[in-house]
Amino acid sequence: MGADPDEELVRRIGAGDAAAVQAMVARKLPRVLSLATRMLGDAAEAEDVAQETFVRIWRHASGWRQGRARFDTWIHRVALNLCYDRLRRRREWTTDELPEVADEAPLPDAVGGDDGRRVQQALQRIAPRQREAIVLVYYQEMSNIEAAGAMQVSVDALESLLARGRRALQAMLAGDNGDG
Amino acid sequence: MAENRKGTDEPMDARRFAALADAYGSALHRWPQAEQAAATLFAESDEGRAILRRAGRLDAILDRHHVEAPSRTLHSEIVANAATQLRQGRHRRFWWLGFGLAGVGLAGAVAGLALVTVVTPDSASEHYVMDANATSFGDAGPEADTEDL
Repeated sequence: MGADPDEELVRRIGAGDAAAVQAMVARKLPRVLSLATRMLGDAAEAEDVAQETFVRIWRHASGWRQGRARFDTWIHRVALNLCYDRLRRRREWTTDELPEVADEAPLPDAVGGDDGRRVQQALQRIAPRQREAIVLVYYQEMSNIEAAGAMQVSVDALESLLARGRRALQAMLAGDNGDG
Repeated sequence: MAENRKGTDEPMDARRFAALADAYGSALHRWPQAEQAAATLFAESDEGRAILRRAGRLDAILDRHHVEAPSRTLHSEIVANAATQLRQGRHRRFWWLGFGLAGVGLAGAVAGLALVTVVTPDSASEHYVMDANATSFGDAGPEADTEDL
């Protein structure tokens, strides 16, 4: 693992540098907000998650030391944990475990109007771990190693989650099983 | 952690290429770095192009989902909150430093006391007064005899 591109900025924040705070928010807020919006499917909740994520960044900035994970990976892990807290509170499931079975019925074209909303609905209907994998690799453009690290799974497990998630999305959005 | 199962020296086969496209989509820059060179070569084949075209259909749909940029209000609230959190963080560190120093001092005092106790000769034995009923064979008091009766 190379040098962490965020390390210097984090060090300056820990030293109380106001310009570094501004730079960190400008650099990371769009990423955190995108992640939370796609995980939760709710803009207001995503903003709350973004705020809470930054509270943790400020709290830990002075003590941050690069270990096995980059700062960006750590932020993603923090934001994902906050998203899962909120998903659990929604009581969308009857057990403590997050569902692994997705509802893969095709979405009607008319639902929600525009294509972007259909994608958002489809993302919310796949299993959360599959959604997490797709959001990290596809939308956040994390490498497979970074995404697997953030999800605390092996690269093989990540690829399996990605493939299953994409097949489910294909079935819902394109109305086929991806073989055509 | 192994990044993938194959390195750049190994040629890509159709099965692996399709598995990667299933997982990562049609854009090779998202694929495992160590397999990108071999995948780029395979992508030139008819089979490779067909696999990427199929994966690209879903990518095109996924790309239609956009998240709005953060509002200025959210940006400002987060920046404003930073000052408070960082100040509290400094205060917390100050107190923990104080507790740490106090702990070190206390540990030193305890260690010093223990050292004094160990090093100082035990003078109590010189003033030991044997019980009047005790003998070198043990207690020879009246209870000892009555138990045997």
